[in-house]
Amino acid sequence: MSLTEKIKKVLLVDDDVDLLEQNKLIMESKGFEVVTAESAKEGFETFKTEKPDACVVDLIMEHHDSGFVLCHRIKGTEEGKTTPVFILTSATYETGFKFNANTDEEKNWIKADGILNKPVVVEELLSKLENYLQV
Amino acid sequence: MDNTAKILIVDDEKGLRIGTQRLLESEGFYVESAENGTDGISLGTQKEFDLAIIDLKMPDIDGLEVLQTIKKDKPNTVCFIATAFASYDTAIEATRIGAYSYIPKPFTPEELLHNVQQGLKQRKLLIEAERLKREREENLLAIADEKSRLNTVIESINDGVLVVNKVGEMVYYNNVALKLLEIEDIELGEYLLDKIPAKISNQIKEFLRAEDGLPKSTSEQIELKPNNELFVETVSSPVYHSDGKFAGVVIVVNNITEFKRIELIKNQFVSMVAHELKTPVVAVMGFIDLLLDKKIPLTDDQQHDYMSRSSSRLKGLIDLVNDLLDISRMEIKTKQREIEELDVREVFESTLMFLEQLAKERGIVFEQKYEENLPKLNADQNEVTRLFTNILSNAIKYNKENGKIFIEISSSKNYLCIKIEDTGIGMKKEDKERLFSEFFRIKNKYTRNVSGTGLGLTIVKRIVDSYHGKIEVESEYEKGTTFTIYLPIKTK
Repeated sequence: MSLTEKIKKVLLVDDDVDLLEQNKLIMESKGFEVVTAESAKEGFETFKTEKPDACVVDLIMEHHDSGFVLCHRIKGTEEGKTTPVFILTSATYETGFKFNANTDEEKNWIKADGILNKPVVVEELLSKLENYLQV
Repeated sequence: MDNTAKILIVDDEKGLRIGTQRLLESEGFYVESAENGTDGISLGTQKEFDLAIIDLKMPDIDGLEVLQTIKKDKPNTVCFIATAFASYDTAIEATRIGAYSYIPKPFTPEELLHNVQQGLKQRKLLIEAERLKREREENLLAIADEKSRLNTVIESINDGVLVVNKVGEMVYYNNVALKLLEIEDIELGEYLLDKIPAKISNQIKEFLRAEDGLPKSTSEQIELKPNNELFVETVSSPVYHSDGKFAGVVIVVNNITEFKRIELIKNQFVSMVAHELKTPVVAVMGFIDLLLDKKIPLTDDQQHDYMSRSSSRLKGLIDLVNDLLDISRMEIKTKQREIEELDVREVFESTLMFLEQLAKERGIVFEQKYEENLPKLNADQNEVTRLFTNILSNAIKYNKENGKIFIEISSSKNYLCIKIEDTGIGMKKEDKERLFSEFFRIKNKYTRNVSGTGLGLTIVKRIVDSYHGKIEVESEYEKGTTFTIYLPIKTK
């Protein structure tokens, strides 16, 4: 079974409309159905209505940790528990956040299933999704 | 000064008294005499005599008492007891209470003069001894003074100072050091190294181990309390005796918490700048990748749209770099200010002209009200233009289509007051609070198509602050915002 059969619909959340559109096009070209949102708030609403199979969320939106907060909210819902959420950022180095969730405590705190650096390489995202599904 | 020796004779026997006086005066001495103990005490205590010859037995006051009283007052007066009843015990008693010697009566002139000569020698010695003593006391006083001055100075330094000897015992400190390092209950001479943070004691131990041929000094920054609560820099230097032998280590503890805080803020700013610079580059790169990707079919319109969006992202990037350069110039003050007398209305109107096209595109009109005979403003024209441009372009960009901008420039005794009111999208309270923070941009449904660097109002605030002015913001969400800027008229 191919990836797009298991994961049909992907939610992209990014306050940068340019990046949002670019990633949407790329994901669509890979065969996914893509829904988008431009803020954490809108993202959570879209998550509930659209029920995507995976989410890719930008970290810094209204606030520096908007992506984390959204991820927590998604993971806090019943369907969210089993939905993979990836956080997208260009700020890994700049903010000094340590994104390598090594310990269980860190994994539990971050909740996201992976951190992706901007500009995102779709192949990387896809391989992360594959990994997630195998686990 | 008169070098003639002064001698006092106290004797109730008139003949002996006068005879002795004459003899001594004939030898060139200055002599005074008293005929009883009471007068003897009064003379001997009031004046400074070199010698006193005191009869032992007098009717009113005993000679020993006269001796004692004079000695108490004038310890350097050399006293003789003259007595016809010389006994060993009397002699002992007399010398015990301060007599230099005793002269047995009757005495020959030679015996008297011999005793007087001896007595004068003693007097010289006493005076010399006193001089030396005084000198020594003065020296000690000077030293004590110097020491207390040094203590006061070191105690007043804002840095902590600790000195340990070569076995690690504390030999000197000031209270700042004890406070910074939280050392309690320590006495001079106590072993210090196990009472201070390991990083500092290791620094000291290196000196103690090496003794000779050690480095000049070492320094280290140490976080004593986490989360930047207390940061110190310690500089340890060896102390040498005057002969060059290693004596110990002096440690200066400098509280650098504030510097570290500023450093952190700067680092955070650099991080934010890097992020802000990277974002448009990533966006442009994304568009280019899409345009190059043969597998993703794009219509001509799409292609054109992406190229023009790339272009506007790059323009935004240039704006950002320009704003950053401005801030950096303001920060390091390389930008030499050219303070001149400005006609504020003139500067304002030329700024308006520059922004006219932008306003026209959105159908926005200005309503202007200027006070007659506005006072001149002493300021740099570029800075004031920048200030007006940023505020006005915000009023245009964050206005509603076909909105209005009310402008009023007036003056009070000390301030020029520039009020810019728009009929725009306004802002919520929580956004207003972050308005002047670097890179803060309000993000909501109204602002998604508004471009900006997030530095405009940061620059405005910095300019206003640099002229010791004030900026006030009133805003109602979806109704509009009013900025009021007060600039002092007389600035240096």
